[in-house]
Amino acid sequence: MNADCIVIQGSNMAECHPVAFRWVMEAKARGAKIIHVDPRFTRTSAVADLHVPIRAGSDVVFLGALIRHVIENERYFKEYVLRYTNAPAILKEDFKDTEDLDGLFSGWDGEKGQYDPASWGYEGVEVGAAAGQRESYTGEPFSQRGTQHGAERFDFTLRNPRCVFQVLKRHFSRYTPEIVEEVCGIPPGLFFKVAEALCDSSGRERTAAFCYAVGWTQHSTGVQYIRTASILQLLLGNIGRPGGGILALRGHSSIQGSTDIPTLYDILPGYLAMPKDKTDTSFEEYVKLNDSPTGWWSEFPKYIVSLLKAWFGAAATKENGWLFDALPRLSGDHSHMTTVSAMADGLVKGYFLMGENPTVGSMHGAFHRAAMRKLDWLVVRDFAVTESADFWRDAPEIERGEVRTESIPTEVFFFPCAAHTEKDGSFTNTQRLLQWHHKAVEPPGDCRSELHFAWHLGRRLRDLYKDSTDPKDRGLLALTWDYPVEDAIEEPSAEAVLKEISGFRVADGAPVDGFTQLKDDGSTACGCWIYSGSYKDGVNQPARRKSAREQSWVAPEWGWAWPVNRRILYNRASADPEGRPWSERKRYVWWDEEKKKWTGEDEPDFILERPPSYRPPEDAQGIDTLAGDTPFVMQGDGLGWLFAPTGLMDGPLPTHYEPQEGVIENPLYGQQCNPTRMEWNRRENPYHRPWNDPRFPHVITTYRLTEHHTAGAMSRWLSWLSELQPAMFCEVSPELAREKGLTNGGWATITTARGEIEARVLMTERLPPLRMRGRVIHQIGLPYHWGSKGLVRGDAANELIAFVADPNVSIQESKALTGNIVAGRRSRGRRVVTSGPLVPSLGGNRDGKDLNRDLPVVGQKRTGPHGISGARMKQDEET
Amino acid sequence: MEEDGRHIAPDLGLLTGEGSQQRIGTAGEAFPSRTFIWRDLPSHSFEEEQPTYYGRPVLKEPVWIWSVPVYFYVGGTAGASAVLAAAAHALGEGELDGLVKSCRRVAAVGGVVGSALLVYDLGRPERFLHMLRVIRPTSAMSLGSWVLAVAASATLGSALLAGRKGFLGRLGDLSGYVAALFGMPLSGYTAVLLGNTAVPVWNATRRSLPHLFIGTSVSGLASLFGLLPVGLEPQERTIVERFGVVGKVVDLAAMAVVEREAGHAEPALKEGVSGALWTAARILTGASLALSLLPGGKRARRVAGGLLGTAGALALRFAVFQAGKASARDPRATFRRQRDSHGEAPESSLDR
Amino acid sequence: MAVGFFTDTTICIGCKACEVACKQWNQLPDDGLLFTGMSYDNTASLGASTWRHVSFIERPVPLTGQETGLGDFSWLLMSDVCKHCQRAGCLEACPTGAILRTEFDSVYVQPDICNGCGYCVVSCPFGVIDRREDDGRAWKCTLCYDRLKGGLEPACAKACPTDSIQFGDLDELQDRARDRLERLHRHGMAEAYLYGADAAGQPGTEGLNAFFLLVDRPEVYNLPSDPVAPAKKAAPAWTSMAFAVLGMAAAAVGAVLSARGGGD
Ligand SMILES: Nc1nc2c(c(=O)[nH]1)N[C@H]1C(S)=C(S)[C@@H](COP(=O)(O)OP(=O)(O)OC[C@H]3O[C@@H](n4cnc5c(=O)[nH]c(N)nc54)[C@H](O)[C@@H]3O)O[C@H]1N2
Ligand SMILES: Nc1nc2c(c(=O)[nH]1)N[C@H]1C(S)=C(S)[C@@H](COP(=O)(O)OP(=O)(O)OC[C@H]3O[C@@H](n4cnc5c(=O)[nH]c(N)nc54)[C@H](O)[C@@H]3O)O[C@H]1N2
Ligand code: SF4
Ligand code: SF4
Ligand code: SF4
Ligand code: SF4
Ligand code: SF4
Ligand SMILES: [Mo]
Repeated sequence: MNADCIVIQGSNMAECHPVAFRWVMEAKARGAKIIHVDPRFTRTSAVADLHVPIRAGSDVVFLGALIRHVIENERYFKEYVLRYTNAPAILKEDFKDTEDLDGLFSGWDGEKGQYDPASWGYEGVEVGAAAGQRESYTGEPFSQRGTQHGAERFDFTLRNPRCVFQVLKRHFSRYTPEIVEEVCGIPPGLFFKVAEALCDSSGRERTAAFCYAVGWTQHSTGVQYIRTASILQLLLGNIGRPGGGILALRGHSSIQGSTDIPTLYDILPGYLAMPKDKTDTSFEEYVKLNDSPTGWWSEFPKYIVSLLKAWFGAAATKENGWLFDALPRLSGDHSHMTTVSAMADGLVKGYFLMGENPTVGSMHGAFHRAAMRKLDWLVVRDFAVTESADFWRDAPEIERGEVRTESIPTEVFFFPCAAHTEKDGSFTNTQRLLQWHHKAVEPPGDCRSELHFAWHLGRRLRDLYKDSTDPKDRGLLALTWDYPVEDAIEEPSAEAVLKEISGFRVADGAPVDGFTQLKDDGSTACGCWIYSGSYKDGVNQPARRKSAREQSWVAPEWGWAWPVNRRILYNRASADPEGRPWSERKRYVWWDEEKKKWTGEDEPDFILERPPSYRPPEDAQGIDTLAGDTPFVMQGDGLGWLFAPTGLMDGPLPTHYEPQEGVIENPLYGQQCNPTRMEWNRRENPYHRPWNDPRFPHVITTYRLTEHHTAGAMSRWLSWLSELQPAMFCEVSPELAREKGLTNGGWATITTARGEIEARVLMTERLPPLRMRGRVIHQIGLPYHWGSKGLVRGDAANELIAFVADPNVSIQESKALTGNIVAGRRSRGRRVVTSGPLVPSLGGNRDGKDLNRDLPVVGQKRTGPHGISGARMKQDEET
Repeated sequence: MEEDGRHIAPDLGLLTGEGSQQRIGTAGEAFPSRTFIWRDLPSHSFEEEQPTYYGRPVLKEPVWIWSVPVYFYVGGTAGASAVLAAAAHALGEGELDGLVKSCRRVAAVGGVVGSALLVYDLGRPERFLHMLRVIRPTSAMSLGSWVLAVAASATLGSALLAGRKGFLGRLGDLSGYVAALFGMPLSGYTAVLLGNTAVPVWNATRRSLPHLFIGTSVSGLASLFGLLPVGLEPQERTIVERFGVVGKVVDLAAMAVVEREAGHAEPALKEGVSGALWTAARILTGASLALSLLPGGKRARRVAGGLLGTAGALALRFAVFQAGKASARDPRATFRRQRDSHGEAPESSLDR
Repeated sequence: MAVGFFTDTTICIGCKACEVACKQWNQLPDDGLLFTGMSYDNTASLGASTWRHVSFIERPVPLTGQETGLGDFSWLLMSDVCKHCQRAGCLEACPTGAILRTEFDSVYVQPDICNGCGYCVVSCPFGVIDRREDDGRAWKCTLCYDRLKGGLEPACAKACPTDSIQFGDLDELQDRARDRLERLHRHGMAEAYLYGADAAGQPGTEGLNAFFLLVDRPEVYNLPSDPVAPAKKAAPAWTSMAFAVLGMAAAAVGAVLSARGGGD
């Protein structure tokens, strides 16, 4: 809303975040330039000033070229870059860039099939990452977050060839506008328009923002897409300032909440590391590995101790290490697709689906169902019986008689769930804003909330095991499981849960004001340190609804944002090193010389009384190591990382790799795909050729429509939504339609090696063919909302998509793959992979030329259990 | 609950919204036009010269059914009949009582049948009396309903009391004149009713349409007498036939004028079902006119003329009715008329 | 107090929240689950059970002020609704008085009066109101009469995330609309104009209480360029009817006299 330019890339914001998009329109009304970079011309493009069609899967090149443009033309925000980023830091001698190794960084370990990040560090020091992959290298554990004072040596002239800035410059030097045209299909003219608009809207007086969502994340190198944008925004000085930033438009209404208080397997609430069985043998060990002598994470012990106190109450004492030993340990990668493949190999007995419909929503429905057929039991909690709940009788392979219902042993339990209107609770939205929702009506019949289900399940289990002395049951029995219950249905009080999450003094149960009051001596309890203060003064802060008109434009009294109701993170960066706003126009927080403290429109994201002039003494410890002019307090060195010495599996700098299934050979490097990507080499999961697969010549991308929601169970049962998009369709260009004899409103069949689906044809110029290297490349657009249930039914796009993932966060690659399309309906009974590929596979060899995804050194990656090969493989031995 | 198109479980959700009382057969069936599929590239529906929205109608098609054009015929005939009855009664010096009587009968039957036909067409027939809740001068249908109400009861009275002596007889005669007075608009208002709509072909021809309808009413009546087994004096026959000749002549003349007035909506009178009916009407009416002009009082000729004339009159009503539907379906009929400033706006403001 | 809608199509994102909010608030049934192939528009038109309708126009011509790698292309989105005309064809045609003008100056159909004669259907120059066959009555937007009564703004306007639909006091809306138009013209969008904002702009209806800001000819949005409330042109029809029926009377008299005179 305060931005002067908004680049929406990798998101169809107007269609998928219409309410958030109101602020984009507001900004536009105030004169901001709206740019949409997307393979399709969408409802977002329709109201944008500039729409740039891009080939799905090529954003790193586009963004990299923008970085190059900014550096080459010296358009970066010099003072900001010099003082707030690690640009001047000097790197190790033995660091080798993709420039030198044809697409690989130094430290590739062919044996382990992953990188050893040791050579990526600053000269003379070892640095850990504040977030992201904490065991990026499963060799001997080093301090997972800890760092000494960041880099030892800096060159503030930025001339040293080994300083981050020069390395960055060299790394992106080959990301030229010409390459952009060749790889992204974007003519230079259009590219320069974006570049200039962005540069003109950055600096002291102006700010530009990026908005992205899963158009960026769902790639085998997804995390690096966002890294590239971060680097660009740091160079332009657009982080921590009003109207700046990189906005991740989160998905489900509280998906942000379910990462903060995670439904993820590898973190504890507040992004504390999940204990690992190999390394975290005791509380002391665990703390040693996660504590940090510098930066904010030096507060770590306070958070973990308070968390354990919240969970185990009196049972957690200093003597028994706060009952840390009662926590489960992580034995390896248990991410979604890995778990499903383990399931397919019979290693998973039971499965809970609470608010998920994977046979429609997740990759490769057929493989998913195959895996579920191996389960002993399945529990589904949903509004209606979903395709996933009915996988044993309503599925393509059963329709075709390949699988018989009688032969499926799985026992399925279905529980109806209560909707958000039928229960109290909070949503955490994209902006980290907690907003409370009150129960409007009683849940009908047997419908119950997740809270009710989980709590009563726990209660019964505790009852079942109450006499057990088995150490593994100790945690369960020690849990404080005493939330007050309300109503006839004994619904646990959601506010009581919020109070525990927010934290309180153990002695008298008084709520704490925030995480600064948390202690590591067991005197405080807090369920999630970043949410600490959300129940300040015993008031349900997320329930606040003061109208915008009655408060400042930052609207601090609407809901509650973590941390400590701060609306913009790292906002110290909105002031210059001396603590003055960069400009009147963009003033946000600043140092108040009289009061000797930080103040401003928002909650300052800095140690309140620490003057800009402060420099840490040699012997400083913990947060005292943060100098007064280092805004990025969560980093060990308080700086924005242009170069990430550690924390990422696939390299310290973003590099363009083609998708697992591409249409062109990587023109930048010999390494075709992300070397650390996760592959599942199994019969049921066949891949196409890396590029130029004659059977699958077109690019497929998948996406959402405003009219439906994700896997559709929430929208396909509603006539008012169903009538708006009543049929599964595919979007194709008139050119492709002519070539394939498709007619608008008619039928088409889309195929990959995994499956075959049919869809209505919607011809449109909105999905243009791309001209690259003199070749015309057609793209096929597929919404993925349909399934076999509901008022409107249709084939699920995910039957087409293979298991392949990004190594850092194991997200699937569902935005860029290849496939084919023909006119007419599919064969009666949809064909999906149940045993081996649908089409005979071609060897890598085509006219003598090898088509390899990896350089020879990478090629020897060995394949682990479940056919997995990739960075995580080694951590993957079941125990 | 499934098929009511709302999917609100009555035991869970309250049905109190404005539209919640909408009675539903099966969703979709309510909108036959919605089975439409655009087979071309969507942007091809955008034409620089004469854009339309995927060629979809801009207006709603008349929802009326067959009973309406039939009513036009019946009502018109009844009106004409009442008028002729009155004329015969007034100037017949008692010598044309046979004609008067049968005219009054025809009018009465027409009034009753006509009302029935109208009620039959209503979406909520049980509410036909709502027609007489108000008098709305801007609504030809409102005025028409009143006209029909009065005319129908008057014709009925006049028919029942026809030939009575004394007070009742005088009352019958009086209602005969009332019937005639209202019979005139009865046979004409239907043309205004069509003319005062947004339907291009009807609106365009709102000046000539009344003449056409009157002509048809008269010729319709005359032709009817050709078929009715009523014993009329030769003199009475002559009256009816001359009356009919005038009607048919007006009819054919009016048709030509209507075509001219139709302008951009003319295709509706030339093409398709409505076009065919229109041509048929012209031929039939012409033929029956020719027959009635032949000399000699052969009964066979009368019957043939009657048949042709009646068919012609009915065909004409249906032709006009169908033409209306056709032109409502065609967005360009509306758009082009308005571009040719048949609307209200000054030329200048139309340049977008 | 006269209230209405100003619908600014230049900021519509085609999310259809208005269409759904209307159906939900009024608990209208769907009107068929049919794929039309008309871009993203699958409800096709306003009707007896679709009182808000969002149109999707794919144009092979660029939009002023917008640039896209697609070349000459733009996508117009527009949310249509009953216009609540100052001279309302439907109201003037209704023989039962089911349609009336409310205290909010909106045009409202009373479902308990309507007898389904269907005359309003052919009298609306915009093809808005329609009779639902299986219900037998005519239906259209009520301007959320029930919500206005309760002091709430109409559901569609409430739901619109971008304020493309603005509800309010008519005079104020007209001023706002003119300012907006001003602004667009200043930014070079010369083709932008107000549709039906006042009697001057649309004499045939003497102005619409629900008016629009458009950027292409009305026909592109399936709107008539110069709609007229039929009753405004009724006079000539009545006159020629008068002549015609007098003619008929004369003919009758003539027929009688001539036969009597020449009769033997
Ligand atoms: N109405 C509605 N809203 C939703 C949802 C819904 O289902 N329906 N889902 C919610 C959820 S769970 C999520 S995660 C969010 C997702 O929100 P979005 O990410 O905005 O939604 P998508 O449509 O999946 O993808 C966005 C765009 O990415 C483009 N795209 C595909 N590949 C590429 C690429 O390689 N590069 C670039 N630059 N663009 C690419 C697609 O064309 C698409 O337009 O939406 C949330 N909001
Ligand atoms: N091809 C392709 N595939 C994709 C994507 C893509 O862009 N392309 N996007 C991916 C993304 S971002 C996402 S988030 C996933 C979504 O995939 P899923 O999460 O599997 O799909 P949803 O339909 O959102 O499933 C949510 C289910 O929870 C139910 N539900 C809603 N509220 C509650 C509740 O309170 N309690 C319980 N127990 N259940 C509830 C709903 O009825 C629904 O069935 O899809 C992914 N899959
Ligand atoms: S559907 Fe809900 S979450 Fe999504 S934009 Fe609308 S209001 Fe926000
Ligand atoms: S738009 Fe049509 S339905 Fe609405 S008020 Fe005007 S005439 Fe009546
Ligand atoms: S259909 Fe109903 S609302 Fe329409 S004119 Fe007839 S009575 Fe009035
Ligand atoms: S005003 Fe009410 S009835 Fe009219 S369209 Fe909006 S929501 Fe529907
Ligand atoms: S709600 Fe607003 S933005 Fe969405 S379609 Fe309707 S008018 Fe357009
Ligand atoms: Mo998502």
